[in-house]
Amino acid sequence: MRIWIKFAKQDLMRYLSHLDLMRTWQRAVRRAALPLVYSRGFNPHPKLSFASALPVGVASAAEYADIYFAGELSAADMEKLQGALPAGLALLCWRSVPEGIPPLMSLVRAAAWSVPLPAGVRKTEARVEELLHAPFLPVRRKGKKGEKTVDIRPSVLQLAVDRPGRRLTMLLAAGADGGARPREVLELLALPGNGLQRDEILLAAGPYLQAPMAVLLKEKEVSLNAEKDYYQLRQ
Amino acid sequence: MSSYQAYFREKILPRVQKPARYLGNEINAVVKPHEQCSMKVVLAFPDLYEIGMSHLGLKILYHIINAVPRWTAERVFMPGDDLEKILRKENFPLCSLETVTPLRQFDIVGFTLQYELSYATILRMLKLAGILLLASERDDKEPLVVAGGPGAFNPEPLAPFFDFVLLGDAEEAFPEVLRLLEEIKDLPRRRRLELLAGIRGVYVPAFYREERDEAGIYLGTKPVSPHYSSRVKRAVVANLDKAPYPTAFIVPYCDIVHDRMVLELFRGCTRGCRFCQAGMIYRPVRERKKETLLALAREMVRATGYEEMALSSLSTGDYSAITELVNELGVELTKEGVSLSLPSLRLDSFSGELAREVQRLRKSGLTFAPEAGTQRLRDVINKNITEEDLLAAVKEAFAAGWTSVKLYFMLGLPTETDEDLHGIAALADRVLQAYKEAGGQGRPRVTVSVSVFVPKPHTPFQWHGQLPKSEILHRQRLLRQALRLPGVHFQWHGAEMSLLEAALSRGGRELAPVLMRAAELGCKLDSWDDYFRFDLWQQAFAEEGLDLAACAEKSLATSDPLPWDHLDAGVSKKYLLREYRRALRGETTPDCREGCLGCGMALLLAEEDDKGVCTRADLD
Repeated sequence: MRIWIKFAKQDLMRYLSHLDLMRTWQRAVRRAALPLVYSRGFNPHPKLSFASALPVGVASAAEYADIYFAGELSAADMEKLQGALPAGLALLCWRSVPEGIPPLMSLVRAAAWSVPLPAGVRKTEARVEELLHAPFLPVRRKGKKGEKTVDIRPSVLQLAVDRPGRRLTMLLAAGADGGARPREVLELLALPGNGLQRDEILLAAGPYLQAPMAVLLKEKEVSLNAEKDYYQLRQ
Repeated sequence: MSSYQAYFREKILPRVQKPARYLGNEINAVVKPHEQCSMKVVLAFPDLYEIGMSHLGLKILYHIINAVPRWTAERVFMPGDDLEKILRKENFPLCSLETVTPLRQFDIVGFTLQYELSYATILRMLKLAGILLLASERDDKEPLVVAGGPGAFNPEPLAPFFDFVLLGDAEEAFPEVLRLLEEIKDLPRRRRLELLAGIRGVYVPAFYREERDEAGIYLGTKPVSPHYSSRVKRAVVANLDKAPYPTAFIVPYCDIVHDRMVLELFRGCTRGCRFCQAGMIYRPVRERKKETLLALAREMVRATGYEEMALSSLSTGDYSAITELVNELGVELTKEGVSLSLPSLRLDSFSGELAREVQRLRKSGLTFAPEAGTQRLRDVINKNITEEDLLAAVKEAFAAGWTSVKLYFMLGLPTETDEDLHGIAALADRVLQAYKEAGGQGRPRVTVSVSVFVPKPHTPFQWHGQLPKSEILHRQRLLRQALRLPGVHFQWHGAEMSLLEAALSRGGRELAPVLMRAAELGCKLDSWDDYFRFDLWQQAFAEEGLDLAACAEKSLATSDPLPWDHLDAGVSKKYLLREYRRALRGETTPDCREGCLGCGMALLLAEEDDKGVCTRADLD
């Protein structure tokens, strides 16, 4: 059985690197005595991956694991898994994945981010306007072959100030074909970025972007908030 | 949440490179509210998290202390360079991982002495914690700073820094210390130490002083009053099978050096290799029953979720039921998808059957330790294995499918000549041939790793000085030349690190000011190439009127009093001397399971039932 699990990565767990998170999950699944499926070969690896790596130190309300289990999983199994995970990694919901769906990681197209705004909301609003009207947003990026300049303007899909919530929200392209990093945008806005968090990961669904769980819904609903439609863990 | 905790986790951690080292909430970490604890211990490992978390002793102690509801044990490691800079700059004290509590607020700060190159780091950690370095200057409120581990059998270079030192197995002694301290908590520091000194295994350095004659010649370290024993006896856990053992290992988030479950099969070793301190100070051999081990293994897999288990001991193949154990464990672990690794296999105990079992379950490479290149020198060090043993073992391994082996040797052993070094190359060459004879395809990879011999206290070679640096370098060059063989990869240890190890290993209290000076000069984490500064160490020695090289190279007369003579590891000086003389004559000594050698260990075991193979009270 293949499932996608949505979970939060918060508090101290935001300090785990992608590799740390992988180890932590693999061991939690073993502690919960759930039957992982292993890759074949000389050095078998459990078939467990995540939608998208998160920068160390950044929290997330929506991370996704893509896991193959031998056999069916019950709600009780998921409770066991939650019990085996360290505090700060909270399971939110899960859904079984029909055959033929490519690896979750390969489907990721964008991510929604938000950050609390310190004083000067109006100033930030003005700066956001400027940014959205700029034809190019060049940033310097360090690569293996030294520094290069990248234009992230096409990757900035949405940028908005939520005035009552005093937050900046960003929808940035992600995935294999580049994208924009939230810290890059924050730097352009001259914001410190304390409390940055990932709010959702979005996949391509025809012409739309959809949250992973919504993509799995049988009917092609266009919804970023389909939580009620799928199995919810008891809190 | 204390203010330290909030500040550390919210303001400091975002700025460090590897925050996963410092979270303190790993699976199976124990967090207790301090106000409900009558004894608060912080276990300190003077190296980075990745090293310290790989250490079994720390896990055993953590488990034993935390098993008592009213006691708490937390951990602390040397912070990485980036974090250390932040702590210094912001004057933020070194804190425990679990609750981010300053070390000053614990009752006991316990350091483990695993290797000499960690000694300066201990002083750096005390400074970061704001704890006074000298035990004599600490007041009643400050924690007791304590040490244990193999280095405790010559803690003299660190004597002024520790309130007390625990010699031997801590499983029983440490809880005894805590029970007593609980009762006498409110007594003045000095009085507490007086009472603690009555516990078997507890050595209070302040109650002993180095005596010298008019000419300044060292006469020995003697108790300051007849009230204290002239020799401090090591604590021994007689029945290891019944001793507590942790199964809920803390599972780190980040990658550590030995990231796996460890199953300790037995303690002690009967082989009597003359260079090996562990083989002397952990006598007698004490095994856990196979059933006990299988039950522990099962629990461990459940409690940790680890994907690998290592069998641990000084010589795993010597476990009396090793093949059955590996077979039965193998069956169970395979079902769980857990692999098994067997470090410390002796060449002569590596059977074809064992090879096949391990091959089936293995993940790691295979390492053997002939230690010396010729039979003559192997006889000198009493490594009772032959070239045939080695070739048979590697053939078994190659036949079972291995294509790479690692061979460990030592350079600079007593009586070593160039011929012995050429012997290493000749052995490596024969291993290459054995691969062909075993029908191996292509070329095997043979790694020859050569460390520099460091004479250790409480061993037959304790009187023997280390080679001068120029000679070490010369012999390493010779080996590099001789080992230019296709398929052979040569690794060697730095001569300078080995010199420092030797200088500290057999030193006395005269080295304490050197350590203080070195720590001031910035020495720390000296086993890491990135941090090791030989020039600063030389400077520290010189400023205290000592010469590092001379300390490392000094040979001692067998009639000389030694700085660790007042510490009783169980093995008598008479026995060590006999073994030293046999070594110089090239005579071997059999495994003591074939007949008790009267090493003195029997005298340290209280109960007749505990004596096992130790049947003779002392040498004739």
